[in-house]
Amino acid sequence: MNDSQSLETATTSIQAPSGVPDPKTRRYDRQLRLWAASGQAALESARILVIPATATATSILKNLVLPGLGHFTLMDDGAVTGADAGNNFFLDGFFSIGKSRAEEAVKGLLEMNDGVEGVADVRDIQEVLKSDKGWLKTFDVVIAHNVDSNVLNDLAALLWPETHLVVVNSAGFLAEFSIHYREHQVIESHSETSASLRIDQAFPALLEYAMSLPLDTMDITDHAHIPYPVILVRALEEWRREREQVTSPSSSTGSPRTTVEKKVFKERIRAMMRKFDEENFEEAEAQAFKCWTPTIIPIEVKELFALYSSSTSLPPSASTFPALISALANFVQNNPASPRYPSGLLPLTLSLPDMKSSTEEYVKLQKMYRAQSEKEKQVFKDYLSREQVDADDVTIDAFLKNSHALKVLKGNEWKDVDPGSKELLLDKLSTHPKETATHLALAAARRLGAKDVLSSFKSSSGPNDATMAENLDKNKLKDLLTAEAMTFLPPGTELPETEWRIVSGEIARAPSADLPTTAAFLGGLVAQEVIKMITKQYIPISAGNAASSANDQLGICVVDLVETWTGIL
Amino acid sequence: MVNVQGNQDWEGRYYHIDQILDAPGPRTDEGFMAGDDVKDFLRNQAKILVIGAGGLGCEILANLALTGFKDIHVIDMDTIDISNLNRQFLFRQKDVGKSKAIVAAEFIMKTRARSQGDAVSIGLAFLLQIISSGEFLRYFGKIQDKDDDYYLQFNLVICGLDSVEARRWINATLVNLVDSENPESLKPLIDGGTEGFKGQARVILPTITSCYECSLDMLNKPTAFPICTIANTPRLPEHCIEWASVLEWPRVHGDKKMDTDNPDDISWLYAVAASRANEFNIEGVTWSLTQGVVKNIIPAIASTNAIIAASCCNEAFKIATSSAAYLNNYFMLIGVEGVYSYTFEHEKKGNCPVCGGESVSLSISREMVLEELIELLTERQDIQIKNPSLSTPTKQLYLRAPLQLEEATRPNLLKKMSELIPDGGEVTVTAGTLPFSLSLDISFT
Repeated sequence: MNDSQSLETATTSIQAPSGVPDPKTRRYDRQLRLWAASGQAALESARILVIPATATATSILKNLVLPGLGHFTLMDDGAVTGADAGNNFFLDGFFSIGKSRAEEAVKGLLEMNDGVEGVADVRDIQEVLKSDKGWLKTFDVVIAHNVDSNVLNDLAALLWPETHLVVVNSAGFLAEFSIHYREHQVIESHSETSASLRIDQAFPALLEYAMSLPLDTMDITDHAHIPYPVILVRALEEWRREREQVTSPSSSTGSPRTTVEKKVFKERIRAMMRKFDEENFEEAEAQAFKCWTPTIIPIEVKELFALYSSSTSLPPSASTFPALISALANFVQNNPASPRYPSGLLPLTLSLPDMKSSTEEYVKLQKMYRAQSEKEKQVFKDYLSREQVDADDVTIDAFLKNSHALKVLKGNEWKDVDPGSKELLLDKLSTHPKETATHLALAAARRLGAKDVLSSFKSSSGPNDATMAENLDKNKLKDLLTAEAMTFLPPGTELPETEWRIVSGEIARAPSADLPTTAAFLGGLVAQEVIKMITKQYIPISAGNAASSANDQLGICVVDLVETWTGIL
Repeated sequence: MVNVQGNQDWEGRYYHIDQILDAPGPRTDEGFMAGDDVKDFLRNQAKILVIGAGGLGCEILANLALTGFKDIHVIDMDTIDISNLNRQFLFRQKDVGKSKAIVAAEFIMKTRARSQGDAVSIGLAFLLQIISSGEFLRYFGKIQDKDDDYYLQFNLVICGLDSVEARRWINATLVNLVDSENPESLKPLIDGGTEGFKGQARVILPTITSCYECSLDMLNKPTAFPICTIANTPRLPEHCIEWASVLEWPRVHGDKKMDTDNPDDISWLYAVAASRANEFNIEGVTWSLTQGVVKNIIPAIASTNAIIAASCCNEAFKIATSSAAYLNNYFMLIGVEGVYSYTFEHEKKGNCPVCGGESVSLSISREMVLEELIELLTERQDIQIKNPSLSTPTKQLYLRAPLQLEEATRPNLLKKMSELIPDGGEVTVTAGTLPFSLSLDISFT
């Protein structure tokens, strides 16, 4: 009573506001809950170039400007047409017609967030590719929407691999995009898999504590508050001792394996209850599988050890990531902080889920986990110090917290996916006919555009180009697309009839349409992936895991907005 | 390029959209009237209702305007908060505190009007009706008095809402609106929702496809902490925050309502929660977490909203114009790892209380008392009814209002169901937040 009284007087006298976040934090609150201050800082220091100022391009930028991108340059040497004014929300409609597309769009975009720097560049990208190559490489990411193939190829070759290129193509309801990078390392993958509690390989303090509890004589209330990991560790150690017929510590290995053993083990837990309604024991029974789910190193993480140890021939990376992996590999081989299980474990992390328990018991368990994870962190840091890199504690903590969910992705170079190897495309046609047909049709349209057969494929076209599109017989266009697509495949390959009829028909219907809804859809999808690349959080699209030798992914995201699906090739 | 819209639409304005409207595609319905007819319908006749002018709503309004819809109505009862500005792109710092519906509508009208070059004549061409918060409350609150004519005027409805209750309500309203004699009474409902990198868009054809109520069990169960944990054995920072808001606030402040939008109130809760956490050696109570827990904040970003809103408007465009096949009927996106999406047909639920027209069978123990049955109904994932009133065809079991009836029926709460109704008896459940009554077939085990 006294406590609550004093609390009341204490709290009612608080001078508000205290701890209220600043306006910037409040503005970004809903996204900070996803990528935190670290992700935000990365976003705010990123520099992006976007070419040209189409509806899709400005939609992508919108979703980067709103969350607070550092800098963007929008490059476009054209003037606003009536068509642009009709489909691009960031132009000033009718009033923008005839003015610079880049300048008008930048104005509209910057209105949304004065913390972002935006520059309109009215040069022709072809000129810039000749005269200002170095400048193009100063960007972190370059995004190109419906850019002519010949320009795109030069741009891609120039930027690879330092600057990440995002290629976006769309026509009517169909679209595809890809991100071109060599390797992308993700520490904060935001995996939904949580790290192991190591029930099967308990650390000394936990094991000792679990075995020390006088289960039969302790206070009945305390008994009902023992957290389930403690109950499981105790039950498992007792099971092991019985099986090995020892009274002293067991050899610390072995778990119930057969269905019968598991059933009996659960009954053992139930038998430990002293009252029928002890929820903590019920929880332990429900979590008993943790005794026979071995704490292992995920194969994807294991593969990274090999990836970085075998890369000694490569030039040393400026990144600390390989050093962190190397230290982790050493830790996995020998962790003196865990004498019973010195090898085969990732560093322990302190991420205890909620469980039936009293505050005291829960906090006690939390402290045990914390003490052990601190010890193991020290072991890790010792290994890391041999690597002669500077990694701050924030990075180390994030790395250790996510060591079970580390991800290193690989990407493809643009020339390798435009359109992709004949063999791979043939394979994809049989496994993903809809997606592959869409990709082939868009790639074929790009080729026709480059050959000037389909000059109106550019979405920057205005009404004058439209007459060309109308003059171009739709059936003839379909035939041209088919002929082009056939060259992408091994001789004699047939295109899947239904799928091809659909995709070629869709392109022939709207070869140069940058539809507002398709633009907005792509604007969201592409911005989302770019945010993942910049923040190095969450997992962007890729051509697979970097450690995998398989090359069976193009790493292209394909979109169909008639049936409304997305797919990855 | 032919300009069918006469003087108000400048040349080339619909160059992109018209590629779709001028000719059928490989997946276009036979009823498609390519050319002037469909353009006239879209631009001069179609009337669309947008419910919600927030994260999805802003995007929806902009997309619809660009697509060529000109008669757009928008409803939202909320006002603009600074935390909306990271995604609700029709709002600026200066708009904080103003009505979302009004600011969004004005932004769209202003932009489009300017784009037409003649603000005065445009006012006529681009009608945008704004229903202010008070009116929405009236529509939302008085379900029995709802005016069907209001909904009958629209061709379709798009929802960008964050509330399950509001969605259930509009869904049931549109299902009830369907009159088999009048095909015009079937109003397609397009619903979108997002959470962080995830989202979904779906097309509901009331009485024909699965409705919102059919899929109620797909929703995640909200996290609820047992009151005894909060009061006696806090373990997580969230438990301390709940203690501050659920127990301490009413104890200290009495009847004064907590305003979770007021930073002072959050600061108070934060201080109380932090002090309790400190007392119990619990770490992790922050101002931001406190706000997140008491407001049940769901992370929200511009990009996910853009994807889902675009999908909703794309379906609206295809349905309104018949220019291409539309989504059948559910698109789910998970953007956490790569771009993962799943498009599928959500099946109609035979015993859906809204569109199935059948009663829900419930098998309970003879010993169960009425109060427990009510609790069960509240917790059942496929029912989720709040503060229900229950009656049988012959008598009232428990009514929430008026007070005299509540008092008269209150003793029933502790009576066994087997004393109140016969085996196989029918119970009708109503709740103020739902425009339909749920019929239960109760059998005893």
